[in-house]
Amino acid sequence: MRSTLMATLSIMIMMAIGALYPNQSFALDAEDAPEVVELDALSDLYEPVTFDHAMHVDAAECVECHHHTTGQQPVDPNCLRCHATSEETDSISCGECHSAERFSPQDLKERSNPDLYHIDKPGLKGAYHLNCVGCHEEVDGPTGCQDCHAMTEKGKKQFQVSIVPPKAGSKKDAHE
Amino acid sequence: MKKMAQTSQEIPIVDHNRNDGTLWLIKEKILLGLSPEEYKTMLKRNPVNWFLFVLLGVGIPLIIIRYLFGLDTVTHSSNDYPWGLFLGFGLFGMVPLSASGFLLGTTVEIFGRKDFVPIERLALLNGLLGYFFAVVYLEVDLGMPWRLPYPMFVSLGPAAVLFLVAWHVATYLSVQIAEILPAYFEWIGWLKGKRFIKSITIGLTIAGIILSTLHQGALGALFTYAPTKVHPLWLSTNFIWIHFFCSAIFAGLSMVIVVSTLCKRFMTWRCDERFLNNIDDLTVKLGKGCSYAIITYLVIKVVGIAHDNEWAYLLTGWGNYFMLEIAVGVILPFFLFTIGVKNYLPNLVRLAAFISVLGIIWNRLNTALIGFNWQLYQEVPRWQEVWVTCTIFAIYFMVYRFILYRLPILYEWKGDK
Amino acid sequence: MKKLLNRRTFLKGSLAGSAAAVSVGRSQKAMAKDFEGYPESMGVLVDLSRCVGCRSCEAACNEEQNLPAPEKPFNDFSVFDEMHHGQKRRTDETRYTVVNRYDVPEIDHPLFRKIQCNHCQEPACLTSCFVNAYTKTPEGAVIYDASVCVGCRTCMVACPFYIPAFRYSSAFNPRIMKCIFCYDTRLKNGQPPACVEACPQEALTFGHRKELIRIGHQRIRENKDQYVDHIYGEHEAGGTAWMYLSPVDFEKVGFDTSVPKEPILNFVKDFLAIVPMVLTIWPALFAGIHLLATRKDGIKKQQQTEGETEK
Ligand code: SF4
Ligand code: SF4
Ligand code: SF4
Repeated sequence: MRSTLMATLSIMIMMAIGALYPNQSFALDAEDAPEVVELDALSDLYEPVTFDHAMHVDAAECVECHHHTTGQQPVDPNCLRCHATSEETDSISCGECHSAERFSPQDLKERSNPDLYHIDKPGLKGAYHLNCVGCHEEVDGPTGCQDCHAMTEKGKKQFQVSIVPPKAGSKKDAHE
Repeated sequence: MKKMAQTSQEIPIVDHNRNDGTLWLIKEKILLGLSPEEYKTMLKRNPVNWFLFVLLGVGIPLIIIRYLFGLDTVTHSSNDYPWGLFLGFGLFGMVPLSASGFLLGTTVEIFGRKDFVPIERLALLNGLLGYFFAVVYLEVDLGMPWRLPYPMFVSLGPAAVLFLVAWHVATYLSVQIAEILPAYFEWIGWLKGKRFIKSITIGLTIAGIILSTLHQGALGALFTYAPTKVHPLWLSTNFIWIHFFCSAIFAGLSMVIVVSTLCKRFMTWRCDERFLNNIDDLTVKLGKGCSYAIITYLVIKVVGIAHDNEWAYLLTGWGNYFMLEIAVGVILPFFLFTIGVKNYLPNLVRLAAFISVLGIIWNRLNTALIGFNWQLYQEVPRWQEVWVTCTIFAIYFMVYRFILYRLPILYEWKGDK
Repeated sequence: MKKLLNRRTFLKGSLAGSAAAVSVGRSQKAMAKDFEGYPESMGVLVDLSRCVGCRSCEAACNEEQNLPAPEKPFNDFSVFDEMHHGQKRRTDETRYTVVNRYDVPEIDHPLFRKIQCNHCQEPACLTSCFVNAYTKTPEGAVIYDASVCVGCRTCMVACPFYIPAFRYSSAFNPRIMKCIFCYDTRLKNGQPPACVEACPQEALTFGHRKELIRIGHQRIRENKDQYVDHIYGEHEAGGTAWMYLSPVDFEKVGFDTSVPKEPILNFVKDFLAIVPMVLTIWPALFAGIHLLATRKDGIKKQQQTEGETEK
């Protein structure tokens, strides 16, 4: 059982490293992939992201973001232990595996299954950012929050962007 | 005052009756038998009072500001140094200096050493006032001073060391008030009250020992909550309560010596023969007690270092500072005490006592402020904080003096008692 | 939970003065180091290698807890350069959590560390408070009741992580300000705290503490060179609900590695153990001494009076 666990581990790793596309299912062939994908499932404080999929297809292999789901063989030996012969899956959209409801009681309950290997699979938001930002850092892609998505009015409110910082040195009296 | 006391044989008041047999009124007793005008002139003539006037003139407004606008108006309001001078000096410094009450109480009432009687009341008063003003300091420092009784009656957290301190200081304060009441009863002439207190003296004294042992130690134990913050040379989690308790013994005795010296020198008119004739003897005897306590303290200090194997720290800058404290605050007074006692040199004992009082305050400040957060940075108190601390100490001094002038502490009441 | 109660009850007894010397034996058992806390308690695993210093968590916390407006907006990253007495930013009366930047030579990008209350299993703040203002809830949060707090600030002295802050600025309504794990608004209902929900990087993983330890060890195991083999908080201060993974030695990113691996309360127990002894032994001891000392007096007096009458 332990070895199964160990084997299944690979997926999780790949998932942690890879970002996935929502609500789109396409075949192994990158040519079949959509040109752009609107990432809007989570937009709240920030506007949706218009993701130039076609451009990214040139920059990376499918497997780097989609793990084993497109039928390509994962690179990580850890993943290979289970997913060496994994077939293309029915849906390869990110949200299929990465829950948008991360940390909900339901989500936590599913993960507490002692037989589950992927106990550390990120939620949808985590999956996006971990994959995008991680890679962007390496290839000098945009990494600032607003480089990819503009802040909404709600976001501006939460980040209190209208505050003008006091001159250096003046101690602000707390509140009340 | 001295001069005035000589001008009239009736002053100082030591009896209920005037020379002509009529009774002194309480009001007259309060004014020391002087007319209000005479009293005012007396106050004005004393340069100490002018100094106090200036001190309080700034200090009192500062205290008012603190209560109206928050602690951050007088302190650094540091989250890294939650305790500043008010507690570092006022609580941790005043309480050991006030151990005198239970020490002399024990000596006289429990060990039956009646030879210490001339100084017993002074020691009791010193204890009472020290504790009382420690609470005053606490009240200035507490965020919500109006909730002082909460740990007693509203929301009890009995597993905390501070809970013990709170309860013990509160009970011990009442014990000390009871112990000093006979002097007051003699003065106002209510003998029934005095006799009642006399009948429970032993109980009060034993209660005093228990409470004192525990809360003197508990003040030290408070720092065991911060094992990573207080410098290891000042905090031995196993021994710090013994360190605090043991140092409180010579601190308390030294404080009585210091106060009695001041009284003998500046308040001679108020002291009676019994006090003046015995004071040199008693000073030497107290000095002997001090030297025993101080050497015990030194030994367990070393034991503390050895137990935690902290020798390496001694070679650091902190170690040098620590050794300076030990050398000046402990070893020096120890030698002075020993020499003074051996050769019957009361004045040397007095010097030793004076140094060890400062040494103890220094030790408490080192534990609570200077060695605290030793890995972070050093917080230097704001001048307002220092000023308020001095102001409260000045009020302490004034209350002390006010009582000594009147109640039969330094003299025996001549009237019925 | 039972153990915890036992222990507290014991301490209550001894300090309040009712426990007899008998309970000293019990104390050793009750204070055993193996207390594991509430079994179902929740926690958060903070992964420093994931945090990008976006301060979304700070912004979310500020809104969720209705904290006062900050000096600088939350998308102002100059705060990472702020220094106070040579220290980086810390929690204070306006913020329950802050993120600080650390430039570590062996890594080509800066690391960020979020701090907030760690919600200890056996909180030092709680055990040191003499009015019981703190509660460790079964969900894992360490919450605070401002209505009984006296403002003595012992909890601030006791917290080994320098977390509780005091609202010094208020004369009439001061209080301790400290992260409460969003207990009232979220945790109680099984929801993650606001910061966790806000974090884009899932640098904050919310879950059962037990599971988080499993996850943490798995992450270390599966990513061999990416983490130091240690979960800060698994044992520190007796275990904390918020725990940390770091790609570099913890002291390089501002953690105090001298925090003991046992509850702070263990350091206090030497003193606590003597309390019942003093309470029981002292009265007898000193009453005895008094009798002895005064008996001699009595005899002397008797002899004196006898001598005088003989004369
Ligand atoms: S981190 Fe500090 S404030 Fe938070 S529970 Fe632990 S001791 Fe208390
Ligand atoms: S400041 Fe308040 S919460 Fe903290 S220990 Fe004191 S009474 Fe308890
Ligand atoms: S929200 Fe997450 S990534 Fe952003 S600073 Fe906070 S912990 Fe780091």
